[in-house]
Amino acid sequence: MLGAQAIFYYMAAASVASALLAVTRRNPVHSMLWVLALFLHVAGIFVLLGAEFLAAVQVIVYAGAILIFYLFVLMLLDLPGEAARPRFGKHWPFAAAVGLSFAALAWLARVETFESVRVGVASGAERMATDAPAQGSLAEIGVALFGPFALPFEMASLVLLAAIVGAVVLARRSAAP
Amino acid sequence: MIVSVGTIVGLSAILFGIGAFGFLARRNIILMFVSIEVMLNAVNLSLIGFSRHLEDPRGQILALFVIAVAAAEAAVGLGLVIALNRNKPGAGVGDLTELKW
Repeated sequence: MLGAQAIFYYMAAASVASALLAVTRRNPVHSMLWVLALFLHVAGIFVLLGAEFLAAVQVIVYAGAILIFYLFVLMLLDLPGEAARPRFGKHWPFAAAVGLSFAALAWLARVETFESVRVGVASGAERMATDAPAQGSLAEIGVALFGPFALPFEMASLVLLAAIVGAVVLARRSAAP
Repeated sequence: MIVSVGTIVGLSAILFGIGAFGFLARRNIILMFVSIEVMLNAVNLSLIGFSRHLEDPRGQILALFVIAVAAAEAAVGLGLVIALNRNKPGAGVGDLTELKW
C-alpha cells in the first residue's frame, strides 16, 4: 500500500514537472516530447486508480495518435526561426496570474467539499458492490457504453466524422470552384 | 483507494492551471493547442478520480468522450493551422494580422 502511494506521488510530481517544462521550453519539439512524458505519467496514474482501459486509450490515442499528429504538423510547417522568437507574449505575467489563481482556487475548494460526499454515496456504493457481480473495469465500461450510453457513443462517431471531413476541407489546397 | 480524492483533484487543478498558463502565454498556435490538451488531460484525471471515489463507471465513460472530442479538436485545429500557414507562413499568433486594420 505504501509502495502504491509512493508510486502515485512520483507520478504526480513527474507529471507536474513535465507539464511545466512543456509549456516553457523554447523549442516546440522539446515541448511535444515533454507533453509525451506528461501523458505517459497520467496514464500511470490512471492504472493506479483502477482505470486500466482509460490508461490504454490514453497511451494509444493520446500519446500514440494525437501527439504524433501534432509532431507531424510541426515538422510539416518547418518553422526554422521559431526557437529564436520570444516564447511568451508581453502579457505573460497576467497569464501566470490566471493559471496560479485557478490552481489555488481549485486547490482550496477541494479540501472540504469532497470528504463529505463520501457519506452520501456510501450507501449507493455498498448497494452496487452487493448487487452487481464482480466485473473488471473494462467489462463495466463496455456494458455501460453499449447500454445506457449507446446514443452518446454514436454521437461521438458523428463528431469524429464531421471533424475528419472538416479537416480535409480546411487543409485542402484551395481549388478553383 | 490509495490516495484521497482530494489529492487527485488538487493534482488535476495544478495541471489545469499549468495548461491555462500555457494557453494564455505561448505565442505559437500549435503549442497553444497542446496546452489545451494538457487542460483536457487534467479534467480527465479528476473525472477518473471521482469515478473511483464514487465507484461509478460513468466517470470513465465521460473521460472517453473527452478524449474523442480532443481528437476531433486536434484534427480541425491543425487543419486550420495548415490552411493559415499556406496563406501566410508562420505559426505565431502575431503573424495573423490579416483581419486587422
